[in-house]
Amino acid sequence: MTEGIAPQPLRPLPNPLTQFFWDGAMERRLLILQCQNCGHHIHYPRPVCNRCRSTDLAPHEVAGKGSIYAYTVTMQAFHPYYVDKIPYVVAVVELDAEPGLRLTTNIVECEEEDLHTGLRVEVVWTEVASDLVLPMFRPAAA
Amino acid sequence: MTKRDRVAAVGVGYSTTGRRTGFSSRQLAVQASTAAMADAGMGPQDIDGSTMLWGVAGQAPPGLDVSDSMDVAYSLGIGPLNWWNSGAGPAYVGPAIQAVAAIKAGFCHTVLSMRVIRQRMTSAEMLSESAAATPTYGEDDFQFVVPFGSISPLQSIASMPMQRHMALYGTTEEHFGNHVVAQRHFATMNDDAIFREPLTLDDYFASRYVSKPTRLLDCDYPVDSASAVIYTTEERAHDFAKKPVFVEASAFSSVKYLTFENLDDILDNSPIHCAKTLWSRTDLKPADVDCAQLYDGFTIIVFQWLEALGFCGRGEAGPYIAEGHTAMGGSLPVNTDGGACNVGRRHGANFCIEAVRQLRGDESGPRQVPDAKVAVWANAVGSFSGAMLMTSE
Repeated sequence: MTEGIAPQPLRPLPNPLTQFFWDGAMERRLLILQCQNCGHHIHYPRPVCNRCRSTDLAPHEVAGKGSIYAYTVTMQAFHPYYVDKIPYVVAVVELDAEPGLRLTTNIVECEEEDLHTGLRVEVVWTEVASDLVLPMFRPAAA
Repeated sequence: MTKRDRVAAVGVGYSTTGRRTGFSSRQLAVQASTAAMADAGMGPQDIDGSTMLWGVAGQAPPGLDVSDSMDVAYSLGIGPLNWWNSGAGPAYVGPAIQAVAAIKAGFCHTVLSMRVIRQRMTSAEMLSESAAATPTYGEDDFQFVVPFGSISPLQSIASMPMQRHMALYGTTEEHFGNHVVAQRHFATMNDDAIFREPLTLDDYFASRYVSKPTRLLDCDYPVDSASAVIYTTEERAHDFAKKPVFVEASAFSSVKYLTFENLDDILDNSPIHCAKTLWSRTDLKPADVDCAQLYDGFTIIVFQWLEALGFCGRGEAGPYIAEGHTAMGGSLPVNTDGGACNVGRRHGANFCIEAVRQLRGDESGPRQVPDAKVAVWANAVGSFSGAMLMTSE
């Protein structure tokens, strides 16, 4: 790697359907697309509700609380940005807002031996660049 | 039971296989196809259909050539074509079942069905200076995983399902190792295998973690390779050089848009539905199967298929493998060519080819399953997959 040039974090490429999620993240608000007809949360965002076929959809702020569904401790860097960040934890977290509503995220502030399926976690907003804030999760306060 | 309208596999072939072979995609496709035609004892004039899936698993190195089924048929002197397809599908089982369906529908009588795969960027290439200098974006659904460092399919297809299987069922890393060791043992008896040295459990535990609990030995081996299988009608099947192997039943399943991490269930997904459909299309039962060739892009996928196909109960694949059922001489030898971890990544095609060779009965040398009459092969996992049951009679 070139001396002195820090590799940049990997970024989302928002589109009109997903821009709200990343705008919300900049404000530290966890927004999930929700069907205004039946209340179903639709993540990843789709332009139609897969439960009732309504197209009346809007971002809905949900509490950043949930539990670990599955996780992995990644030991190998697949991108230069991660060379000095391994090991790091990638996880799927199921949010309390609706059964089956899950996010891929990172678990931080947690020892590896404390990680387990079902662990209660809460969102911790992490600024990885001046224009990029990510919803990561840490063990929930008791 | 005489079913005169079945489809048969009559020729199989591989290209040169290895890391950065220097051959183009089209050259690899032509090599494998020429080998399959020679195996069948047929020429281009015998073929009137062509289907292939071309691709790279992961980030493609720059300057890669793309091929398609019409172009390859042209280079092989096959034509005019009555049917062709270069579309996507769940890895090799896509073009395999498409070929069977096209023949059954009467669009064509003999189909060349191929999987051509090119080696992805190496780890060193992914960490290169130019990769560091180029901004990396996650597009579409990937925007929700890439910024969190979920970059390799391994993390979502292998590691998290493995972790959850361990959490739900008490599966151990030793169980995964048992499979890796048993599968390698078959590879020691296969001249086509790249890795032919025996492995022990100690070797497995000495293999480095890529993303826990997935170790390097849990991963298929990335190569440049092409694989080809020729299917024809039952009526024509006996005109060729080798004993035909018949497609008893086949099935596809898709349970969600293409995702691995965001499935409704990261463990119990399309193979469950696919297997149920497969068994509904035949009088045969899991107990009738003499050997199983189950996609091993990662070790956990073999576990998922063993359970989905009903060879053991849900969550019981670990103990089932530990008891020796899937090993040489077991009640259900699994991945008798050594699997893609040992013969190289072919996205399922090696499992079809090995099923055909086992059912021919005289091509597998010391790894031949005695008196094998029924084989199942299965491919892909997650939101999409497919499986095929084949018989020698």
